[in-house]
Amino acid sequence: MNILILLAACAGLLALRFVPKMNILGWLVGWWAATFVFLRWGINPPLPTSIQGMFLAILTLALLAYISANSVHFRFVLDRAVAFATEKKYTVALAVTLVLLPCLVALRVYFDITEGPAPPLSSRTIHPPPPVSIEVAGRMIDLVNDDNPYRALETEDPAAFAEHVANGRRVYYENCVYCHGDDMAGDGLFAHGYDPIPANFQDATTIAMLQEGYIFWRIAKGGPGLPSESTPWLSAMPAWENFLTEEEMWDVTLFLYDFTGHRPRAREDHGGGGDGH
Amino acid sequence: MEGETVIRNKTDIAIRLAACRARRAVGRFSRSGFLSCVLAACLGVAGLPLAAWAQPAPDLGSDEQREAGRSLYMDKCAQCHGDAGQGDGVAAPFMRPMPRDFTAGVYKVRTTPSGQLPTDDDLARVIRDGMPYTGMPPWPQLSDDEIRNLVYYLKTFNADFSGPYGVPDLVEIPDPPSFSEASAERGRAVYEENQCFDCHGMAGRGDGPSAPTLQEQWGNHIRPADLTKRWTFIGGATRQDIYRTFTTGLDGSPMPSYSITPIEDSWALVDYVYSLSQDEPDYATAATARYAADPVDPAQGRAAFGAARGAYFPVVGQVIEPGRSFMPGVDGVEVKARYNADEIAILLAWNDMSAETTGENAPDMAVPPIEQVVRDTVASVWSDAVAIQFPQELAPEGLPYFLFGDAGQPVDLWFADLASGAGRSYVGRGSGNLIAGETAPSVHATYEDGEWTAVFAMPRDERFAEGAFVPIAFSVWDGFNDERGNRRGITGWYYLYIAPSERPSPVMPMLRAGGLTLLALLCIVGLMRFRRRTPVSA
Ligand code: HEC
Ligand code: HEC
Ligand code: HEC
Repeated sequence: MNILILLAACAGLLALRFVPKMNILGWLVGWWAATFVFLRWGINPPLPTSIQGMFLAILTLALLAYISANSVHFRFVLDRAVAFATEKKYTVALAVTLVLLPCLVALRVYFDITEGPAPPLSSRTIHPPPPVSIEVAGRMIDLVNDDNPYRALETEDPAAFAEHVANGRRVYYENCVYCHGDDMAGDGLFAHGYDPIPANFQDATTIAMLQEGYIFWRIAKGGPGLPSESTPWLSAMPAWENFLTEEEMWDVTLFLYDFTGHRPRAREDHGGGGDGH
Repeated sequence: MEGETVIRNKTDIAIRLAACRARRAVGRFSRSGFLSCVLAACLGVAGLPLAAWAQPAPDLGSDEQREAGRSLYMDKCAQCHGDAGQGDGVAAPFMRPMPRDFTAGVYKVRTTPSGQLPTDDDLARVIRDGMPYTGMPPWPQLSDDEIRNLVYYLKTFNADFSGPYGVPDLVEIPDPPSFSEASAERGRAVYEENQCFDCHGMAGRGDGPSAPTLQEQWGNHIRPADLTKRWTFIGGATRQDIYRTFTTGLDGSPMPSYSITPIEDSWALVDYVYSLSQDEPDYATAATARYAADPVDPAQGRAAFGAARGAYFPVVGQVIEPGRSFMPGVDGVEVKARYNADEIAILLAWNDMSAETTGENAPDMAVPPIEQVVRDTVASVWSDAVAIQFPQELAPEGLPYFLFGDAGQPVDLWFADLASGAGRSYVGRGSGNLIAGETAPSVHATYEDGEWTAVFAMPRDERFAEGAFVPIAFSVWDGFNDERGNRRGITGWYYLYIAPSERPSPVMPMLRAGGLTLLALLCIVGLMRFRRRTPVSA
């Protein structure tokens, strides 16, 4: 989202308030233009043009509904339209409109045809609900009831806890840094080669809103362990049970939280997400 | 008054003079007068060891600043650069070039003469901007103060920073004249005169005859930069950066420092290097296969595919399944394609420091999970190789696993071992499960000036229907890097668009859309006028 554009669009609408003798037609045009500007330039990464068109169509319908809900507004708009179509002083403007609009439509069609189609987009659920339990190296792990076995050390034995975090740090920089990045922002050396891109752990929408059991599941089973709505075969996230011991995987989970300063989501408010994108 | 330091190594007089000019030019550092410049230069010529007189004290920061730098360092840098700054952090074995050993006091990106320490600003810059396409990340999220504290702390690792060499000379980096094609053209001669091609190759692709033998001061092999990809330059890609790179050299690496006079020749060389590449890699998401009626002859190579640049996809290390490749030898592949009624041909081109055409390679070769690549010979055991991958069927559930498919959805693999040059095909159901396929692609591969070009041709089956977006992925093996089997460079899934052979003319649809709009408008206006004329009462 480009805040500057959003502000500019709002400021434009605000400025309309101070235009003397502003009529409803002016407002309609203002709203439409502001929305267009925002959709077109205000959003990053840009929306596909088909989606932009859809939003604008919805807005147009809403504006039509708005004017027809009030008979004074409706009369006024209708009168102006009729005047434009019939009165002598508008003849030139009318002729220009009659020529220009079809030309614009034709131009649009030209671009649509010559640009060629865009590759299909795939959407995925980023945080699907986790399984109830998983098997790692022959041992069942209950993701609903088991906690990170070393989390309790944080208060009980800080020195032992620090050792686990240090081990997690080793694991991270030996294995994860290439994708998730040295500062855990999902921008490692190889990140540009993968789509979906590696998760950004600094961001509030990843580990900060997940439980440690969920993180453990994702680390142990990786991309291939995801359910089908999460495009398991596109994810580059490795299944770390092939490389790491269970303890190493819990330790690196501790380190993810320690390094970013996030706290795992408490276990009482059960659930692992379900927010799709 | 400014003291002059002992000449530590191959600093030459031209740079020295430039340094004096720089001291006057750069306001912040202009403590010296013209006289001391002349004096210093004269003494420099005489080669006299100079006593440091009235030495300006190096800026080492306060205890608090160094302490703040230390705690930041332990949090963000020690995992690579080591707790004691010796470049031996836990990640070090997986990175080439290795994380820097700060106790050596040798730095690559400097505005100071070769052999001297960098300035504080040099260090701050390299921390902020990082060194692209190496393990050294950029740190834009750190504030200027934090970076300064880090610099003060890094300087504690090597005693020279606090000694007489702690205030290095400066090399002036003048404002560049504007780029011109003529100057770039002349720069080619300068490039050849100075034998840059010995390492960087005739076309600048990093494939010079010395390239396989180069070593960093710390003992690992290092590849010469690929000058056709300036976005990978560790010291920045602007023309001033390039000027600085060859004027001050990259200490610790084999990249020497040059003083190229007259200055116009320096800028000509800059322009030549600059003209070899575009600004950005422009990574694509789809390649396009165009229709051409004549039969495909792979032996024609590039000539059969038109002059335009193909789609360029990033290649990264396979670090997902055992047999990981942390330092892939290839970082991108260019793809072009064409088809006719019964054949499809795909051209892959990628830059490779050297062609390994002895030995053998295959996608299913076993690789030990941990393997230290120690190279004491430049002869290769494994040959270069390349593969294209397609889903065997386009299923609505989505794509097969991008690493050679999965049990549910197999992939077709078109493979070429560039030692024999013969094509093979495989059906992949995961990287542990590859079986030979039925039809082998016909392949023609050539290596020239640091670039491999491989053309694959196959019968065109129904997957490649006109207008289809066919998922496609690539693997590249660099034999020099001991890559084979799972140790390789990979891409994720991209698309191959089969552009329809008949481009529908846009005229009819345009006329139709425009005409309909006009008709609708005329109807509305006509209706209104008609109603206006016949008086309505309502
Ligand atoms: C080859 C690149 C790669 C490596 C190496 C890698 N990851 Fe990932 N990781 C990804 C990608 C891509 C995603 C996002 C897609 C997904 O959810 O599977 C991801 C997602 C995750 C998630 C899920 C975050 C969320 O919000 O759901 C966790 C946790 C994670 N990685 C932890 C790790 C840990 C710990 C390591 C090292 C032991 C590691 N990753 C190594 C690529 C990688
Ligand atoms: C993920 C590993 C990694 C981390 C984390 C890292 N570095 Fe580096 N650093 C490297 C590598 C690898 C190199 C060597 C690159 C080369 O020689 O081309 C390097 C080189 C350097 C250099 C030498 C620059 C030159 O001009 O020669 C400096 C200075 C440096 N790092 C500072 C830092 C600081 C400060 C931090 C912490 C904020 C840091 N690094 C964090 C990997 C890392
Ligand atoms: C002895 C071999 C050798 C010669 C001769 C040589 N170079 Fe280099 N050059 C290298 C190596 C090795 C690197 C990569 C260094 C690194 O990444 O640390 C490099 C890197 C570069 C870079 C990229 C710098 C960056 O920021 O990444 C440029 C530009 C360059 N050289 C230009 C030149 C020019 C111009 C010449 C001739 C005047 C030249 N080189 C001669 C070995 C050489």
